[in-house]
Amino acid sequence: MPYQSALTIVAPVVPGAVDDLKALLATMGDGVANGSVLDFDALSDVHFARLIVVDEDRDSAGEPLPASLILLSDFDVSVETHLAELVDTAGTGIDRLFGHCEGYPTGEPTRQERLEYLTGRRVKEAARYVNTTGRAARQIRQEAELRDAIEDSLDRSPHDGADPAAVRRSVRKLVGQELAWAREPAERPGLLARVRELAHLVAIPLLLLPLLPLALLAAPIYAFILRKHERRDQAPHEKPGEELVQELARLEDHVVQNPFTALGHIKPSRFRRLSLIVILFLLNYATRHFFNRGNLAGVKTIHFARWVFIDDRRRMFFASNYDGSLESYMDDFIDKVAWGLNLVFSNGVGYPKTRWLVFGGAKDELALKDYLRLHQVPTGVWYSAYGRLTAVNVKQNERIRAGLQGNLSPKKERAWVQSL
Amino acid sequence: MTPAPLDLHDIQGLVARGYGHLSAASFLLLTIEDAAAGRRWLSDVSGAVTSAEARRPNRALNVAFTSKGLERLGLERRTLELFSNEFVTGMTTPHRTRILGDLEENAPARWEWGGEIGPSVDAVLLLYALVDRELSLFEAEQTAALPQGVSVARRLGTSDLDGVEPFGFRDGVSQPFVEGLSKTGPPESTVRAGEFLLGYENEYGLYTDRPLLDPSTDPAGVLPRDAAGSDRADLGRNGSYLVLRQLRQNVGRFWQFVDVATRRADGSSDLAARVRLAAKMVGRWPSGAPLTLAPDADDPALAEANDFAYHEHDRQGARCPIGSHIRRSNPRDSLDPRPGSARSFEINRRHRLLRRGREYGPPLSIEQALAGDDSADRGLHFICLNANIQRQFEFVNHTWLNNPKFADLYDDADPLVAPSAPYGGTFTMPTEGVRERVTNVPRFVSVRGGAYFLLPGLAALRYLAALR
Repeated sequence: MPYQSALTIVAPVVPGAVDDLKALLATMGDGVANGSVLDFDALSDVHFARLIVVDEDRDSAGEPLPASLILLSDFDVSVETHLAELVDTAGTGIDRLFGHCEGYPTGEPTRQERLEYLTGRRVKEAARYVNTTGRAARQIRQEAELRDAIEDSLDRSPHDGADPAAVRRSVRKLVGQELAWAREPAERPGLLARVRELAHLVAIPLLLLPLLPLALLAAPIYAFILRKHERRDQAPHEKPGEELVQELARLEDHVVQNPFTALGHIKPSRFRRLSLIVILFLLNYATRHFFNRGNLAGVKTIHFARWVFIDDRRRMFFASNYDGSLESYMDDFIDKVAWGLNLVFSNGVGYPKTRWLVFGGAKDELALKDYLRLHQVPTGVWYSAYGRLTAVNVKQNERIRAGLQGNLSPKKERAWVQSL
Repeated sequence: MTPAPLDLHDIQGLVARGYGHLSAASFLLLTIEDAAAGRRWLSDVSGAVTSAEARRPNRALNVAFTSKGLERLGLERRTLELFSNEFVTGMTTPHRTRILGDLEENAPARWEWGGEIGPSVDAVLLLYALVDRELSLFEAEQTAALPQGVSVARRLGTSDLDGVEPFGFRDGVSQPFVEGLSKTGPPESTVRAGEFLLGYENEYGLYTDRPLLDPSTDPAGVLPRDAAGSDRADLGRNGSYLVLRQLRQNVGRFWQFVDVATRRADGSSDLAARVRLAAKMVGRWPSGAPLTLAPDADDPALAEANDFAYHEHDRQGARCPIGSHIRRSNPRDSLDPRPGSARSFEINRRHRLLRRGREYGPPLSIEQALAGDDSADRGLHFICLNANIQRQFEFVNHTWLNNPKFADLYDDADPLVAPSAPYGGTFTMPTEGVRERVTNVPRFVSVRGGAYFLLPGLAALRYLAALR
């Protein structure tokens, strides 16, 4: 099994076809995908997926930017397998959706034509976040079943005052009968994949090391230019209209998780664009190797996230799958990782004013919340394979399974029993 | 840094105190059919509004408006839209009914007021007096003074249950202290004034959105000026958002549920176990004693005890369950980041409410409740004050109370007040060994009405009365 992969397809929409396309998306779900047109449940091992339409716009020079149809998914198979399954199980759905897009083959496209079209519109993510690398969707669902079964059995036969070892024995017996797979550790990515990760972990610093003296020399110059930009950049605090807020909120809070998608213009200077490229490169390195065990710098509610450049790096979008309401999500970021938000998004037009790239910005609570609402894109078609589980639930289920295996010290055994 | 002093003379008294010594109270929901009449009435009544300066008055009168009410008084739409979105669009938008759990039998379509049926709720007149007889007189005076075009849409009466809410538990023990008021408390529960009053700095050191008007719209200089230093007139300053919800409590269903859930194997009721389960759900014993300090039995000596935290002695919730009502409506030091630290309290302070509600309906003893004698309407006229409805009232409801995933739980919404569907009918009680839990907890509280109001400053009331 490989690590989780991601697919991003960005296809420009034929001028004049946007309304039709949006009407089609509206039939596919109202906050949560209903499985029509494109059934993500029929594909192997998908965690999350969504379809959004980005409206056409103009860049700072007045050049038109096309409207785009964007398909995002997170899954456990290879990108090639996932793409092949998409065209094999949902070929006509793909036709109906991407038939609104520039260059899509007309008539009855062949499997090969569909595949070539999608492959040709694939965009590489600038950065990704995966809550816990190597944890498969199938494993997540199985471990949720495991916990339900254990809880049910504890309800049926209470263990008041029983010693932890006896409780664990009886749970292991239950599992041994009905859920034998849980007695084994979950499948991990293969050796080859792990070696590749390790190589990446080591290679990047080695490659960057020679640049360090240069970076140190350049730092004061960078800081000087940065401050000049920060003082000059406009950050008008605009409030989103109530209609916009209601339209976005209508799609939220149907299950315990929510999707968030936001799109913005990158500040039109080479300095900002280059800064963002470097920052996202480093961010991706950090999430890939360090923030990959259920905790993104203090935020524990995100399942998957990605940052993607579009329109020749003139616009960028951010997409995440998180637990709870948008209000609690934004509060979490403001309270815990305002600096991280600033680092990336202060390179976007209109972001609340920052100082030294990390200070200020998101610390202006209402300015940030209004900015995010104004840049949010409605996610009408959103799929989650385990909408009733929070990221913390998923992690806890994994611990419950792990506690079934091997011998535990009396202290650990007690803690495990208490955690049920 | 010393905080800006509060303009007590311009703040309505309800912000500073709940008028506990005035045991009689009624809330009159008003409909304003005629703008001129509404302003005439407001102009008369604004002189009688009790300010925060009045200590122990014999009567108190406060007044608040819905956004529709402000519009009916003649406030321009573009000025109105400078108030917070939640206040302007109200409590019954589709998204809000979802996050507040106002679905199915709680749906606004079924409310007695403030929902889709019944007269328009434009204002609420809150009246308080020493005793019922006094209140009747006061109320008669006030209703007689209503001009043609302003009428009482509904009267919400209250009853004095001596500090005990209808389920039978002492209520209102834990309140935040507002920085700048005379009553002071420990720093972890002392909250910046801007969390409850517009025009003051909040817990972020910032000003919550407030309507700042062009000074030319206030030539007489009635309104306070922007505290942040611009020359603009602040229509919000010294005002607060008042959330009012009529919560009917099904006391019979509550005690019958805990009774059945704790019966002995032979089917007989276990009185001690019954009260224990009920107390676990609340987080306090009937006297008010918190389970974290009195884990095994009620202790009336601790009835008012509020100086405690969870992390150090009750991290797992073996005393006070994580999912209990008081622990999730005010988690104190138990949440990220760094539970047990000042940082955790700091986050908690951004989600506090000043509660000012009153009970209604006749009291019901546990015996009566178990006997099924529960035909009367009783419950709580829940009132709270806050400056940011979304980050305070709505957040507490959605992220803490109604959320089955609160603090790493799975399927445990608030056992006392949350709607049980679609998730969250489980209540888990951690122990030193295997957890105890009850499942299929039904709904004990239903919503009968509700609205968001603005409780304006006194100068703002005069400004509104003088609108043309």
